[in-house]
Amino acid sequence: MKLSSVRYLTKEGVKNVWVNRLMSLASIGVLVACMVIIGLAVLISENVNLAVGNLEKQNVVMAYMKDYNWALYSEKETGETASQDTEQAEQPDQNGIKQSDYVIHNEQEAMALCEEIEKIPNVASVTFVSSEEGLETVKGSMLEGQEEYFSFLNEENPMSCAAKITMTDMSLFDQTVNKIKELEGIDAIQSQSDLAETIAAIKNGIGVAGFWIIGILMLISLVIVSNTIRVTMYNRKLEISIMKAVGATDAFVRIPFVVEGMLIGVISALIAEGLLYFCYRVATETIVSTLRTEDIVKFGDMAWILLGIFVGIGILAGIIGSLFMISKYLRREGSEFAAI
Amino acid sequence: MEQFEQVFNTPQSEQPIIEFRGVSKTYQTGTHALEDVNIKINNGEFVFVVGSSGAGKSTFMKLIMREEKANTGKIIVNGFDLTSMKRKNVPMLRRTMGIVFQDFRLIPNMNVFENVAFAMHVVGAGSKEIRKEVSKALSKVGLGHKARSMPSQLSGGEQQRVGLARALVNSPDLIIADEPTGNVDPNMSYEIVSLLTEINKRGTTVLMVTHDHNLVRDFNHRVIMLDGGKIVADNAGGEF
Repeated sequence: MKLSSVRYLTKEGVKNVWVNRLMSLASIGVLVACMVIIGLAVLISENVNLAVGNLEKQNVVMAYMKDYNWALYSEKETGETASQDTEQAEQPDQNGIKQSDYVIHNEQEAMALCEEIEKIPNVASVTFVSSEEGLETVKGSMLEGQEEYFSFLNEENPMSCAAKITMTDMSLFDQTVNKIKELEGIDAIQSQSDLAETIAAIKNGIGVAGFWIIGILMLISLVIVSNTIRVTMYNRKLEISIMKAVGATDAFVRIPFVVEGMLIGVISALIAEGLLYFCYRVATETIVSTLRTEDIVKFGDMAWILLGIFVGIGILAGIIGSLFMISKYLRREGSEFAAI
Repeated sequence: MEQFEQVFNTPQSEQPIIEFRGVSKTYQTGTHALEDVNIKINNGEFVFVVGSSGAGKSTFMKLIMREEKANTGKIIVNGFDLTSMKRKNVPMLRRTMGIVFQDFRLIPNMNVFENVAFAMHVVGAGSKEIRKEVSKALSKVGLGHKARSMPSQLSGGEQQRVGLARALVNSPDLIIADEPTGNVDPNMSYEIVSLLTEINKRGTTVLMVTHDHNLVRDFNHRVIMLDGGKIVADNAGGEF
């Protein structure tokens, strides 16, 4: 197709939007509404993800190690020792604990175990917590008066050293915990599996709801643009019949309608972006002042993504809607003598 | 007139521009529109197609334009075999012909110049060429001075002349006129057929459907008469 034709057809498409301005305006209105709802769905989903992410960070798993304290304080079944190797006669210490009774003998071995844990898929981070640090944490979490009751902790430390673990995907929580448990040197795991399940369920719910909301609204957008194009097409029936009679190709007939559909989509995208910015700003200002939280996704961080989504939806709806309608029309109404 | 000669200087030849061989057309409704039609129209001829309503005239024209496909037989138009032609090639066939409609089919929100230029835009002509050719075509039909007028400001005869200019502007080999005088007064009818005759003299084949017996008699061209989907007469002297 020649450049002059492309220029002419583009101009015709732009002209169509103006000639059918009432219908174009109605389409733009509905498209903007759809896009704003899609944008809100995206922003809500991002905010929930941010909140869930914060929860995830708090949902740490403590993996306690089979160290000296474990051998000393834990109630083990008869015959349970870290090593079954009894060939070498060993002298127990003053507490009656032998080297072979526990697995983690020093900090180097504990760090090595932490590295092993880090290699397990879905483990995001591992921090070594010494028995002293563990005791401090326990003391710090005590309520008033409890310290007195647990005063023996000032003289002895029953805490085993541990690994503080965070995970990437909470839906794989149980699998990951089982893999950690399988490691030599791990005694017990302390976790909030209920919270992990809730987080995974929230994330999954948001994903499914978002998919359907966006899918349905995109379909509505497509129907709206198709309908506008159909009206334009019937308004231009005469032109199309003459075009076909003088030898226009189907592509030549289609292009102005595609341009019109795309233009309606782009105009709607720009309006939706502006409107959403305004609505979101008002909403976030209210939330920040009411809930006194700063954990809110900033519009600026999402502006380009949203604009991309809106323009994408607009252009896609314009192209698919117009191509679908005009192809249907050209197949059915090909007759030049009977077209009017 | 000099310009006219430059545009329409194709030599007349005895080569058929339209050929129907044993063509039949039956619509899905069961209507037998054409039955075993055999005809040749040579390059440079002027042919009237006459017949009563339902005789098959419209189907005959639609088959030539490849709006409809024949059920049986072979149709050759301007070197294109329409029976085996793919849909995507139909525009190429139509660019070799100009069509004049009974109801003019001018776009009301375009002025005279734009209505004629429209046919050139479709074939991808550049704006310089469009300006030149449209002016020429409008001069040929005597409407050079009305280029900026809107269709609603023209008489029926003038509107049909704009339609004729649009059909001519791409210099077609064949003009198909579907009752071009059906909506104009008798004087204007003569003017339009005179114009078509003039165009034909310059080498363009003209195929005109009409109901007007007086025109057919007065212009003394070949007449093909259809009745019940069959060619019942094919006279070279305008008699039927």
